[in-house]
Amino acid sequence: MIPWPVRRLAAEPHASRHPIMPSSANAAEPAGGAPNGPAAGPGSDADGTIATRAYYSPPWADVSIIGIAGSSGSGKSTLSHAIVNKLNLPWVVILSIDSFYKSLDAESSKKAFQNEYDFDSPDALDFDVLVDRLRDLKAGKRAEIPVYSFEKHARLNQTTSIYSPHVLILEGIFALYDPRVLELLDMKIFCEADADVCLSRRILRDQRDRGRDLEGIIKQWFKFVKPNFEKYVDPQRKVADIIVPRGVENHVAMAMVVQFIRQKLMEKSVHHRARLTQLEIGAQSEPLSKRVMVMNQTSQMRVMNTIIHNIDTSSEDFIFYFNRLSALLVEQALNNVPFEPASIATPQGRTYAGLQRTGEVSAVIVLRGGAALEAGLHRCITDCKTGRMLIQSNVRTGEPELHFLALPQDVDRHAAVLLLDAQMSSGGSALMAVQVLVDHGVREDRIVLVTYSAGRMGLHRLTKVFPEITVVVGQVVPDIEERWVEKRYFRC
Amino acid sequence: MSELKRSPIKCVGPDYRSESQKPVAAVSAPVDFDSVTVLPQTPQLIALLSIIRSKDTNRGDFIFYSNRIIRLLVEEGLNHLPTVEHTVTTPVGRSYDGLAFQGKICGVSIMRAGEAMEQGLRECCRSVRIGKILIQRDEETSKPRLFYDKLPEDIADRWVLLLDPMLATGGSAIMAVDVLKSRGVPEDRILFLNVLASPQGIQNFSKQFPNIRVITAFVDEGLDEKNYIIPGLGDFGDRYYTR
Repeated sequence: MIPWPVRRLAAEPHASRHPIMPSSANAAEPAGGAPNGPAAGPGSDADGTIATRAYYSPPWADVSIIGIAGSSGSGKSTLSHAIVNKLNLPWVVILSIDSFYKSLDAESSKKAFQNEYDFDSPDALDFDVLVDRLRDLKAGKRAEIPVYSFEKHARLNQTTSIYSPHVLILEGIFALYDPRVLELLDMKIFCEADADVCLSRRILRDQRDRGRDLEGIIKQWFKFVKPNFEKYVDPQRKVADIIVPRGVENHVAMAMVVQFIRQKLMEKSVHHRARLTQLEIGAQSEPLSKRVMVMNQTSQMRVMNTIIHNIDTSSEDFIFYFNRLSALLVEQALNNVPFEPASIATPQGRTYAGLQRTGEVSAVIVLRGGAALEAGLHRCITDCKTGRMLIQSNVRTGEPELHFLALPQDVDRHAAVLLLDAQMSSGGSALMAVQVLVDHGVREDRIVLVTYSAGRMGLHRLTKVFPEITVVVGQVVPDIEERWVEKRYFRC
Repeated sequence: MSELKRSPIKCVGPDYRSESQKPVAAVSAPVDFDSVTVLPQTPQLIALLSIIRSKDTNRGDFIFYSNRIIRLLVEEGLNHLPTVEHTVTTPVGRSYDGLAFQGKICGVSIMRAGEAMEQGLRECCRSVRIGKILIQRDEETSKPRLFYDKLPEDIADRWVLLLDPMLATGGSAIMAVDVLKSRGVPEDRILFLNVLASPQGIQNFSKQFPNIRVITAFVDEGLDEKNYIIPGLGDFGDRYYTR
């Protein structure tokens, strides 16, 4: 099996448990509620000509969530990691339910420091927040996961973000406890192990990792862990789909779980691609949206296009003419950002009724192709804040996948965000890129997609799903084309 | 001081926006000559002009933003050069019916402000030849006088992009064209690239040379008593080079 490129993951709150997307703090919820809902953002129907919005769900919506519960020391965490390894996918996130411990008040906190607080009771967990976050993830949105500090017995101010996993493993003694959580789970696993195995594992772990003494551990076991297990943890086996004895050593169970998840993912991929195909309807007959601005095919534009298209053009010339043309694309894109009137005093002592830009304009590069437009971008805005995302098509399915994401922190407050990509053919990765911005709170009508060439089909799909974005295109090409521009520009 | 024509006030912005969604600004005065092309009055162009017009803009910004306008002028200017059909094969093996540029070009800047436009020209035409003409006002006659010129030897065979950012009365531009004509450049192979023009300057220049294409970003309201363009942007050369 080909090893998957591993998605870059940020540091984790405690223990190496949650592979999580790099966090950019203050990420707001999408402004208009559900990203695919009929957004009523400003400018949506000023002239009453808003197009009907097609439905698009990114492949990471409806994430498969697998719950793994079981006694402390039953091997949940080992099992989770074993499943991740077996799946060999970059989009699996393990979420420990420990992140959702409630912050303790002064009295409870004191107890906690004396090993007198009952961490093994469901009351210690904030299921409301857990359910909210899981629902967000299920809706394809970004979720801010609290960070709990065992040192302070309190939630820290920072959060870590999870965004766009295909599979989420929720692991913890009470993963199958709350009925609202159960509703969201695609598969429920209960880890089983003999109580004496559990206790011995716990002793070893707590001595090694948490610096506890033997007496304290045993006291806690009999005072809290065991009674809670019998009262709350063990009954969860009744709602489990499968009960896995012997943890990772149970190869048959592991194979079943992995097979099931793979099947689910395959179904979703097929479904996603079918959706994309459905969006093709009308591509040839309907006119393009008014918000698609194709560059005037002036003679210089055509001359430059000819040089860029010519396979015999030297790399030097290619890069030179592509930069020149991309600067023009960016100039055109900047006509779509907001301006306000400004009275300008000239050195001649007169005033001029001019304009000034309102607010910051930033850019987001869709890697790798979008980086070819960066020289042009910086000719127009030298110090433009620039986010990046790496979207690549899966070689097997052709489905676009998000591998890396780093956005400016305040991207949701920028007056406009230029989304740059060199080429857009089917529109799959552009759809995904816009969806990512929307999920990070960027208003749709503030997004200007800039691309050198686009297929009619891709433009149609994109503007059907996101009728309020603006698209600036160098040229419209009839067919789906492979991404040759970035190959020429970067010479590999 | 000559008569002023107020700049038209218009909503500017992309077509998909309704009038109420577009901000209002002063746009270029209309021009009666077919030979004159005024750049599309986009909100971005107006904003760029606003920056370089402002007396509070520092030199670094003046250079950067005027350069952006100049690049747009050059790009528009190059559209007026002749092309031929040219079919090429693309990297994906498709055949592409395009155009190729025909003919040789050169730039000629009217010193010193015109030299400020050379960078923008080079950003579009890498190794273009650039000639220079120095014209200054003769203190005795108060008429423009040719002090110096250095032009490509084969200039008569080239298309000439004449560069001067400010067209006030048109005196030096007219004299520069006379120099070019004396070297055998026909009028219809000269393109005059200009950032800011006065209506009088356009009138004087284009009446005299109806075959010379003028490309300008903006035609302003008029001239003041010292023949500076108003509302204007001050002295372009000073703001670009020394102030």
